[in-house]
Amino acid sequence: MGGHRFFTKNNEIKGLWQEALGDSLLTVSRLSRIHYKGRFFNYPLSFLNALSNLGLSESLLILLSYLKSRGNPHPEEKTFEQWVSNRFGKRLYETFFKTYTEKVWGIPCNSLGAEWAAQRIKGLSLLVAVSNALLNLQKPKSLINEFNYPLNGPGMMWEAFQETIRAKGGQILFNTEVTGIFHENRRISHVEYALRNSRKRVPVSHVISSMPITKLVTALDPKPPESVLEAARQLRHRSFIMVGLIVDNKALFPDQWIYIHSPDVKVGRIQNFKNWSSAMVPDPCKTSVGMEYFCDEGDELWRLTDEDLVAIASGELSRLGFCDTGDVSDGFVIRQPMAYPVYDEGYQERLMAVRAGLEEFENLQTIGRNGMHRYNNMDHSMLSGILAAQNTLGATRDLWEINEEERYLEEDTAERTPFLESLFSRAFARMDKLAFATALGSVCGLAIFLATLWLIAKGGDVVGPNMSLLSQYFFGYSVTVKGACIGFGYSFAWGFLFGWLFAYIRNLFLALSIYQIKKRAEKLSIQDFLDGF
Amino acid sequence: MERGGRDVSSTRQQTPQKDEERLFGSVLLLNGKAMGLGLGLVLGLGVFIVTNWLVLKGGNPIGTHLALLSQFFIGYRVSFLGSIVGFAYGFALGTLSGALISWIYNKIVWYRN
Repeated sequence: MGGHRFFTKNNEIKGLWQEALGDSLLTVSRLSRIHYKGRFFNYPLSFLNALSNLGLSESLLILLSYLKSRGNPHPEEKTFEQWVSNRFGKRLYETFFKTYTEKVWGIPCNSLGAEWAAQRIKGLSLLVAVSNALLNLQKPKSLINEFNYPLNGPGMMWEAFQETIRAKGGQILFNTEVTGIFHENRRISHVEYALRNSRKRVPVSHVISSMPITKLVTALDPKPPESVLEAARQLRHRSFIMVGLIVDNKALFPDQWIYIHSPDVKVGRIQNFKNWSSAMVPDPCKTSVGMEYFCDEGDELWRLTDEDLVAIASGELSRLGFCDTGDVSDGFVIRQPMAYPVYDEGYQERLMAVRAGLEEFENLQTIGRNGMHRYNNMDHSMLSGILAAQNTLGATRDLWEINEEERYLEEDTAERTPFLESLFSRAFARMDKLAFATALGSVCGLAIFLATLWLIAKGGDVVGPNMSLLSQYFFGYSVTVKGACIGFGYSFAWGFLFGWLFAYIRNLFLALSIYQIKKRAEKLSIQDFLDGF
Repeated sequence: MERGGRDVSSTRQQTPQKDEERLFGSVLLLNGKAMGLGLGLVLGLGVFIVTNWLVLKGGNPIGTHLALLSQFFIGYRVSFLGSIVGFAYGFALGTLSGALISWIYNKIVWYRN
C-alpha cells in the first residue's frame, strides 16, 4: 500500500522485478521534500535552501545551536533526540526531526528510545563506512535520485507473481486467515485457516510465515511457553491509515511524496500517485493523493469513521494550501494494522525470546518486515522469501543475517567483509614511530659512517675534500675515523627526527581520514532517516 | 612504499574489539622486499633522471658536482652511459637501505609488542 520505490542493489531481486514487470517498470526521477511552515525544504536538507526558507535570524539561531552542541554535547547519546542534537544542534533537530518522528511513532522523542536510536546508529560500523568510502559505495537511498516503479503500481508485480504461481500449478488463497498452527515433535504438522466462515486444516511440510511474528506465536498449538507468549505480546507495532483523496486539480505539487513536519496537522506524509506513474490517474484533470496517518490500532484516529477521516484529510490538505476543500471530489480509507514494527526499549530482548521459541521448529521460517519484526525494505523482505524457499530445498541460509543496514553495501561486498576487514586493518595499521625513527636514523647514520670510511680507505693527498663540507652542518665532523663516528651520530639524529615526524604525520592523516569517513557516514545515516518509514 | 601489516596486538589478545580498535589496534609491519624494491627504484631512477637532465642541459664541463658520486659509485660519469651505471648503483643502495630499514623497524616492533 502506498508508494514503494523499487530500488535494490541485489541483482537477484532486480532481475525478479524485471522478469515480472518487463517494460512496465518505469524509471522515475525522485522528488520528495519536507513541507514545514508553508514552505518546501529539500530532502536531504541543503544549506542554501534551508537558509532561504528559514530566514536569516532562524538560520543564525540554528547555527548557534549547532555550535553549542559541538562545544557542549550531551555527555551520553542514549536517545534519538540526544544523538541528533549532538550532531545537528537542538534547534535543527526540533525543526526537522522531532515533529515527524513523534507523528510516526506516537512517542516523545526524548523517550523514543535509546534502543531505537541505537538501532539506527548500530549499523554504522566503522569498517563498513571505511569500505563504502574507499570503494565509493557510500550513497544513502535518499541520495539516489532515480528509482523504478511499475506502470500501474506495485500490485502489478504481485499479479504477475500470482499468474506465474498458478501457471505452475500453485494455489493462492485470498481473504483467508490462518487461525491455528499445529505442531508436534518440533515440526509444524498442520495449518488451520478460516475461509468464508469455514475452517480447514491442511498438513504441511514447510511453513514460511510473513504474518506478524506476534500473531504467529499466538496461533501455535500447543501454545509455546508463557515467557515466549509474554515477549510476543510486548512487541509493539505502529499502524497506519491512508486516506485516498480524488482532487479536481491537474497538479498539486511535483513531488512523489512530501513529508509534513508541521505540528498543526495530523497527516505525516502525502503521496501524489500521478507523480509516481501518470498511468495511475487516468483522468489528467484530477490528482489522486494518499494522506498518510500514523496511529495505534484502536486509538482515537483509528476508530474514526471513514467519512470523518476523509473530512479531516480534505481539511488538512486545504489547510496546508495544496487545494480548496471543495476540490476534493471523493475519498476512501484504508486501515493498515501492524504496519511498522516498533523498536522500543527492550524490544531486542523480547524479539530474541520469540525467535528462540520459534527456532524450535525445524520446518518453520519467518520472513518479511512483520514476520521478522525488522525494518526490512521491500527488496530485503523479498530476499528473505527467496532464501526461505531455498532453505526448503535444502539450503541453510540464515534469514536473520539479511541486515537492514545492508543497504549501504553491495551484496558481494558484504560477503567480502571478512576479507576487507583484514585488508583494512593492515592498511590502517598504525606505524610505530619510535621503531621507524630508529630504523631510519640507523640507516642514515650507517650511510655516512661507511661513506666516510670508504673515502679514508681510498686515501689520497687530501682525503674527501667534498665530503668534509658536511662539517658546515655536522660540527666536529671530518673525514677521519673519529669523524665517521661523529657523522654517524649526527646522521642518526637527523634520520631519527625525520623518521619520527614521517610516522607521526602518516598516522595523523590516517586517523583524520577515518574520523572524516565516520562523521560522513553518521550524517548519511541520518539523511536516510525519513525514508526509513 | 609498500606496507605489509600484521596485527601484532590481535595475536596476543583475542577479545572482542570495537571497530576502532580493530582498525587501529594493529601495528604496521614493513615488507622488506617491497620496501627495498620501492626505495631502490626511487633512488635508481633519481640518479638516472638527474644525470640525464644535466646531460641534456649540456655545458662544459657537465655536472661537476654530480660527478663526485663517482667517489662512491665506481664507473659513474655524468653521461647517458653513466646514468645507467648510476641507476644500478642507486637501485642497489636503495634496495639495501629499504630492506635494512624494514628489518630494523620490524625487529623493534616485535620487541616492543
